Amino acid sequence: MKVRCEYCAGPELKFLSNLDMMHMMERALRRAEIPYALSEGFNPHIKLSMGTVLPVGLWGKNEYFDLELTKNVAPEWFVMQLNSVLPAYIKINRMIEIDSKEPALMKTVNAAGYSFVVKGVSQSELQQQLDNLIKMPVFLVKSRGKKKDVDKDLKPGIYKIEVKGQEDSVIINLTVAIGEPVNIRFDELKDLLLSAGIREENLTDVYRKANYIKIEENYFTPLEKVV
Amino acid sequence: MKDKLIREILPLVAKPVRYTGNELNMIKKSWSDSKCRMVLAFPDVYEVGMSHVGSKILYGLINEKTDHLLERSFAPWPDMEALLRSKQLPLYSLESFKPLGDFEVVGFSLQYELSITNCINMMDMAGIPVCSKDRGENAPIVIAGGPVAFNPEPFADFFDAFLIGDGEEVLPEFLDLCFATRNQPRAERLLAMAKITGVYIPALYQAKYLENGFFKELVPLNAGVPARIRKRVVTDFDQAYFPAKPIVPYMNLIHDRAVLEVMRGCQRGCRFCHAGIVYRPVREKKVSTLRRQAEEQIKSSGYEEVSLSSLSSLDYSGIKSLVKKLVEDYGSCGIGVSLPSLRVDAFSVDLANEVQKVRKTTLTLAPEAGTQRMRNIINKNITEEQLMEAVQAAFKSGWNAVKLYFMFGLPYEKEEDLGGIIRMLKEVKATGNRYSRRPVGIKAGIANYVPKAHTPFQWHRQNSPEEFENKRQFLLKAKGKDKSIKLDFHDSRTSYLEGVIARGDRRLAPAILKAWQYGCKFDGWTEYFQFDKWCEALADSKIDPEFYTLRDREKNEVFPWDFIDIGVSRDFLWREYEMAVQEKATFDCRQDGCNDCGICSEFGISMEIEEDVQ
Repeated sequence: MKVRCEYCAGPELKFLSNLDMMHMMERALRRAEIPYALSEGFNPHIKLSMGTVLPVGLWGKNEYFDLELTKNVAPEWFVMQLNSVLPAYIKINRMIEIDSKEPALMKTVNAAGYSFVVKGVSQSELQQQLDNLIKMPVFLVKSRGKKKDVDKDLKPGIYKIEVKGQEDSVIINLTVAIGEPVNIRFDELKDLLLSAGIREENLTDVYRKANYIKIEENYFTPLEKVV
Repeated sequence: MKDKLIREILPLVAKPVRYTGNELNMIKKSWSDSKCRMVLAFPDVYEVGMSHVGSKILYGLINEKTDHLLERSFAPWPDMEALLRSKQLPLYSLESFKPLGDFEVVGFSLQYELSITNCINMMDMAGIPVCSKDRGENAPIVIAGGPVAFNPEPFADFFDAFLIGDGEEVLPEFLDLCFATRNQPRAERLLAMAKITGVYIPALYQAKYLENGFFKELVPLNAGVPARIRKRVVTDFDQAYFPAKPIVPYMNLIHDRAVLEVMRGCQRGCRFCHAGIVYRPVREKKVSTLRRQAEEQIKSSGYEEVSLSSLSSLDYSGIKSLVKKLVEDYGSCGIGVSLPSLRVDAFSVDLANEVQKVRKTTLTLAPEAGTQRMRNIINKNITEEQLMEAVQAAFKSGWNAVKLYFMFGLPYEKEEDLGGIIRMLKEVKATGNRYSRRPVGIKAGIANYVPKAHTPFQWHRQNSPEEFENKRQFLLKAKGKDKSIKLDFHDSRTSYLEGVIARGDRRLAPAILKAWQYGCKFDGWTEYFQFDKWCEALADSKIDPEFYTLRDREKNEVFPWDFIDIGVSRDFLWREYEMAVQEKATFDCRQDGCNDCGICSEFGISMEIEEDVQ
């Protein structure tokens, strides 16, 4: 049985690397006595594949992994069993069965939603700053990826910018491309917001809100869009 | 403080997970409800310190079994240190994020001589006066323990107390007394602590020297302060506390696995080995106890590997049945068993093969020396035939890489002994090519030998850095261009300093302090080791380092560490030294009768052997 899980990794875990997160999940699977499948060979490992890398410094509301099991289990049992051994700040939201030929998360997830929490600025002021930004023909930032410090235009990869007021803060939700047409990193997004006039000390939190499979103008979560 | 760290500091440092705590199975006790509050400060980075078994035991023991509290702190990497200092934040504990200065006891684990500069640096980062004499009534009691504390004298100025021997025996008693004397003046508390067996309070003694600079004696300054400090020993090792729920870090550790301590001590009697003498006698756990502990640890941690730890795990009498059981119990869920350095014989390799069914680990053997003559001198009781049988068995059963450990700069070493190392490596390679289907890779770790206190070679001179360098060149030349054999050497200057401190006395303390003031820290890390700064510090303190390393000592010379009673007699050590000159072996007292080292008779204890010896 192959399954896909959606989980939330809270702010306490934002400094974990992708590898740290994977080891933590493997150890939790062992503690929970989940009937995970092992690879063949001298160095057997759990057939677990993590979704798109959650960068160090970010926490994630809806992250994903795929896992192979040796027998069928009920989703409710799986979620309860795993949550009972996971640290308090990480939680499995849902698990569904997927087809054994379902393409890997890394191949299908092509968009992500990032949320920046801003304090000490009014919603209207923020909206104004972002409206000015949107009018620009290009969104130029210095690349933070492999080609460091090369000018990079983020505009083709930014699908949506929304501003939402909360009790004591404002949230900027950005839906952006992963991979094609341009790979957008969260630190580049932050640079873009800073260039629009938002001040670093007012940015109190950043997290990844969603991972999407974008087909034309429709956004599906990895749990919705399966074969 | 925690908020400031997470927002302003941790995003800027490498590996921030080192500094956040909150791992699975962390124990956070109530600050106000706990009696004595202690922080265990490990003078190296998180991933090194968290691999240390002794710290795991003490952490669980104090927090689970006593009313005291024990939190953790590690040496911050220099990037983190710079940020903490620039923001004027003190070094803190990982459980409650309290500054080290808020604890009543700050305890350092001394695993390595050169980690002393990190101890001093950590105290300074916490605003604790680094010298014992400068600490006021309200300053924490700063203590140290671990293998290096068996010669505490070079560090006498920095610690209020040393705990000698097995920590789980003495620490609870020490903390009880700290709590009971809480409202007394500091001087009186220290005096009371001096009466606990195994506790050494350096400020209560005066060191005297002869005119020629040799050590004369250590004189207690107060009545009731013992002239000799007897180490503490866990007697019922099988029933001794061992943590069932180890902390599971988020980041990768050096030793990232569940650990079983199958035995403590070693009876092999290798003459170079410090641990083999100071941790006598041998004590084992029952196979049934170990299986229970394995189950508890795996259940609570989810680790993918269990390591069987001790000074020589293949000598554990129940090793075969333990490994078999563990592989049976956990092999099917992909949980492997790992053996640290193997004994040099075919039995070991057969056992390694059992383990390999689950997970392939590196095959590591330690012949230590290249000729039979030299192995007799150091009492490493293995023969070349045993080694060749072992590697043959290994290559036959599919290994195609072997790592061998050697030492050089050993007492009475001749050119033929160095040549023997290379000849042996070539022999191993030839054997490999005969039995393995693929080309074989041979690696040799060749360590600089440093004579240590409390060993038969405590009388012997150490090689100088120049001698080591010449011998290194000789070895490289003898090896030739063969790329399938790789030789790894250590920095001979590090070993030189290690040697100075290992057999040093109190007069070194001001030089150590200077070295830290000149910027020395992380001296065990090549990228931070500053030999010139150390030389400057020694010279400025008018210390001749060669006095400590480059001379043979007379039979009757009094040593600054003689007052530490390890249970093994000086007479035994001298007899062993004489046997070394004669190239004569001393056999394992388990099989071949008592060698009268003194530990069992002196301490009224005996070896704990659990299974029939094979």
